[in-house]
Amino acid sequence: MDFPGVRALEHVDFEIRSGEIRAVVGTNGAGKSTLMKIFSGVCPDYRGEIYCNQIRCFLNTPAEADRLGIRTVHQEVDTALFPDFAVYENLMMDDIVSQSSVSLRYDRKKLMRCAADILTQLDIRLDLRVPVRTLTLAQKQLLLIAKEIHRECRLLILDEPTAALSRAETEKLFQMVRQLAEQKATAVIFISHRIAEILNICDSCTVLCNGRVTDTFPVTKDTGTKTIVEKMLGGNVSGNDRDGTWKQSRACARPPVLLEVDGLSDREQKVKQVSFYIKRGEIVGLAGLVGAGKTEICKTVFGARRRGAGTIRVDGTEVNLKNPAEAVRHGIALVPEERRREGIFAAENIAFHLSAASLGTFCRFSFVNRDKIAAHASGLIKKLGVVCRDARQPVRLLSGGNQQKVVIGKWIAAESDIYLFDEPMQGVDVGAKQELFALIRELAEKGAAVLYASCDVSELLSVTDRIYTLYDGRITAELDTQETNEKELTYYVINDITEGSDA
Amino acid sequence: MRKIQDKGVGGFLLDWSAVIAVILSILFFTFYTGASFLSPANLTNILRSMSITTILAVAMTVTLACDGFDMSACTLASCSGYVFMACYLWYGMSLPLSAAVCVVFTMTAYLLTLFLILVCRIPDMLATCALMFIHQGLGQWFTGGGAISAGMRLPGGAVPKRMSFETDFVAIGQAPWIILIMFACVLLAHIFLQHTKQGTFLYAIGSNKTAAALSGIPVGRYRFLAGMITAVFIAVGAMVVCSRNTAAQLCGCDNYLMPSLAAVFVGRSVGGREKPTALGTVLGAGLIVILENGLTLCAVPYYILPAVKGGVLAAALAAVYLPKRAG
Repeated sequence: MDFPGVRALEHVDFEIRSGEIRAVVGTNGAGKSTLMKIFSGVCPDYRGEIYCNQIRCFLNTPAEADRLGIRTVHQEVDTALFPDFAVYENLMMDDIVSQSSVSLRYDRKKLMRCAADILTQLDIRLDLRVPVRTLTLAQKQLLLIAKEIHRECRLLILDEPTAALSRAETEKLFQMVRQLAEQKATAVIFISHRIAEILNICDSCTVLCNGRVTDTFPVTKDTGTKTIVEKMLGGNVSGNDRDGTWKQSRACARPPVLLEVDGLSDREQKVKQVSFYIKRGEIVGLAGLVGAGKTEICKTVFGARRRGAGTIRVDGTEVNLKNPAEAVRHGIALVPEERRREGIFAAENIAFHLSAASLGTFCRFSFVNRDKIAAHASGLIKKLGVVCRDARQPVRLLSGGNQQKVVIGKWIAAESDIYLFDEPMQGVDVGAKQELFALIRELAEKGAAVLYASCDVSELLSVTDRIYTLYDGRITAELDTQETNEKELTYYVINDITEGSDA
Repeated sequence: MRKIQDKGVGGFLLDWSAVIAVILSILFFTFYTGASFLSPANLTNILRSMSITTILAVAMTVTLACDGFDMSACTLASCSGYVFMACYLWYGMSLPLSAAVCVVFTMTAYLLTLFLILVCRIPDMLATCALMFIHQGLGQWFTGGGAISAGMRLPGGAVPKRMSFETDFVAIGQAPWIILIMFACVLLAHIFLQHTKQGTFLYAIGSNKTAAALSGIPVGRYRFLAGMITAVFIAVGAMVVCSRNTAAQLCGCDNYLMPSLAAVFVGRSVGGREKPTALGTVLGAGLIVILENGLTLCAVPYYILPAVKGGVLAAALAAVYLPKRAG
C-alpha cells in the first residue's frame, strides 16, 4: 500500500489471523496511524490489495470497514462520544442510528436493558443514566471499547488504549481483549508505546519503520524489551550527524546555572515532580513521546499553565511566575509547538511579529515609532536569514521554517536569555532545519540557556549537550549527549523504568 | 490561504467595495436628485446625521479590535443618557459636571460587562446580549418608565432644579459642534489604535489571542482597557444624542446598534485589512447615512430604510466572511 503525495507507507505486507493479538510498534511517524486509517476505511486513496477471509475487499469508506466487522477505538476518545447523551445511549448509538424500522419510537427501556446486558457481560461497572461528559477518561475509554465490541467484531484496532488508564484498569482491558480473542476469535491490533504491555498481552509483533514493515516476529516469554527496541530502531541506528567540532568549547569554563526547576508539578498531574537545570550557554534536550508532558513542562515553566508545586529559579533567584507576561519579564521565551495556533499572528506582517514581545522599546510615551520597528525588523530579517519580500509581508505567506525564524526573532528582539523550544522543527523543511539548528547554537554560544523538547531522538542528539528523558510526565534519566546513542535514548523514552513505583 | 499579490481584480474590488459603494452612491444620487444632494446644506446634514452613528461605532471598534464584541453598547448609551439628563435637569448640575458624572457612570456600568466576560468567562456575544435587557430594565426603573425632558417632574413628584436648557447644552447636538465632536472621537481612536503600544497590542490580541498571551501580552488587562475606552466613547455618544433630542428619550440610543455594527463591519472590509479601524468605521457610517439621505431625497418612504441598513450590514459581513471560506 502506498499513498500519493507524501508516502507514509511503502509496500506494507500485513497479515493477521483470527484470535491473534498483534502489536504494531514504531517510532512517531513510522506510519502506524496511517495503516490503521486505511484499515478503518478513512483513507480511500491507498494502492494495493486487501483480503478479508480470502475475499478481496475495498476499504473505501468507513461504512465498508464497518460492514466487514473492523472496529477501531481511536486514541481521542472525545471525538467518538456524545458528551450530553447518557452512557446507555452512547453505547447503543450505532444500533439507534442503523435501526431499520420506520418506527419513531425511541425505546429507552429496551436500549437500557441491552446496554446493561452488554456491560455485565464485559464486567464493566458504569451508571447507565449519567451523561458521558461526567465520566473519567478511563471510563470513557472502556465505554468506547464496549461500544465497538458488542457488535460483530472480527478485527479490533486499539490505538494506544492504555495511555489514560491506571494499572488496574489496564489489566481489566487486557482481560477483555484476551477473552475476545479466545472466545470470539477476534483479531486484535494493539498499538502502544509501552513495551511491557506488548510483552504482556500480544502474541506477535509487527515493526514499522519509515513506512515499511521491517520485521514481524512472535512474542514469547524470551522476548525482552531490548529486542523490541532494537528491532524498532532496526538498521536505522546511523551515527548521529553531530559535527565533532561543536563541543563544549564555550568561553566560560564553569558557567552559572541560569534556569533551575525543582520538583515542578502542575495542577492536572501532567507534570510530575520534574527537576532539571540549564546552565548559561547550554542546550538541554527534553526527550519524550508525544503526550509525555514536554509541552506541559514548557508551558508550566513559562507560566502559561498553573503550577501545582515546585520552585523555579532564574539566575539563582526564586521566581513566582503566574502568567507568561511575568515569565517574559524574567527573560524566558517560549517557541510553542503549534505554531499556527499559538506562535504566529497569521494576518500580521513580519515587522509586527519581531516587535510583538518588545514593543515597549520602540515606543516613546507609548507612541509607537514605526520607522524604528521597520529598521530593526529588516536588520533582524537579514541576521536570521528569513526568506521574504520585505518586512511588510504577512507571516502566513512564509514557509514553516521562515515562520519559525520569525517566532525566534521575536524573542531575540526581546533580549530573552532562557529559550524553551517545543518541537521547533515541526513543519520545517530539511534545509531550514540546518539553519535553525545553527541559530539555536548561536543563541547558546551567546550565553542563553536553551531547553529543546522533541520526540525526535536524532534531532536531540545532533543539537544538545545534555538530555533529560521524560516518560508520563516524569523525568526518567539524565544523559550526556556525548556519551549516549540513539538506542539508549530510545530505550529510556519508550520505557517506564519507574514502573512499579507509582502503583 | 489567498495571497496578497495575486488576489486579482475580483479580490481588489472586494477589498475596496466599501469605497466603491460610497463613490457610486454619491454619483447616483447626484444624477438622480440634481444639485440638491451635493448642496452645502445637504452635505452638512449628512455629516450631522452620521455623527452619532460614528461615535457609537467608534466605541465598538475599540472593543472589536481585540476580538471582543458589544451588542449592549447602545442600550448602555441610553442608560448613560438618562443619568446625564437627570444630573443636568433634575439635580441642576452644570454641564461639565453632568458630563463628568455621565462618563464615570458609564465606565462603572461597563465593569459589569467586563465582569461577565473576563471573570465569568461568558462569550462576549452572549454576555452583552443578556446585558441589553438588563440595561433596558434598569434604565427605565431609574427614569420611572418615561423620558426625561425639560419641565417634567421627577418620578417621586419633586420639581426639577432646572426647567430649561442653556444654549451650550443645545449646541452640542447642532451643526458645527456635533461634527467636530465626531471628528475628535475618530481622531483620538485612530491615534490610539494605530500609533500607540496599547492599540497595537489590542490588534495583536484580536489577531491571535493565544499567540498574544504566549508573547507575554497580558490579554485580560488589555481587554479591560479596551472596555474602558469603549465606555468613554459610549458616554460621549449618549450626551450627543441627549443634546440632539433635547431630552433623554426612552431607549433613545437603542436603535443605533444596527447602523453602528454595520459601520464597523463595512470599515473592517476596507483595503482587505480585515480588522476594524477608526477610519474604516467613518467610511462605513458615511456609506449608511449617504444611502439613507439619498433615498429620502428620492422620496423613498422612511419606513423602508431599515431594510437598506440591514442590507448594508449583510453585505459587509459577507465581505468579511466570504474570502475566509473561499481561501
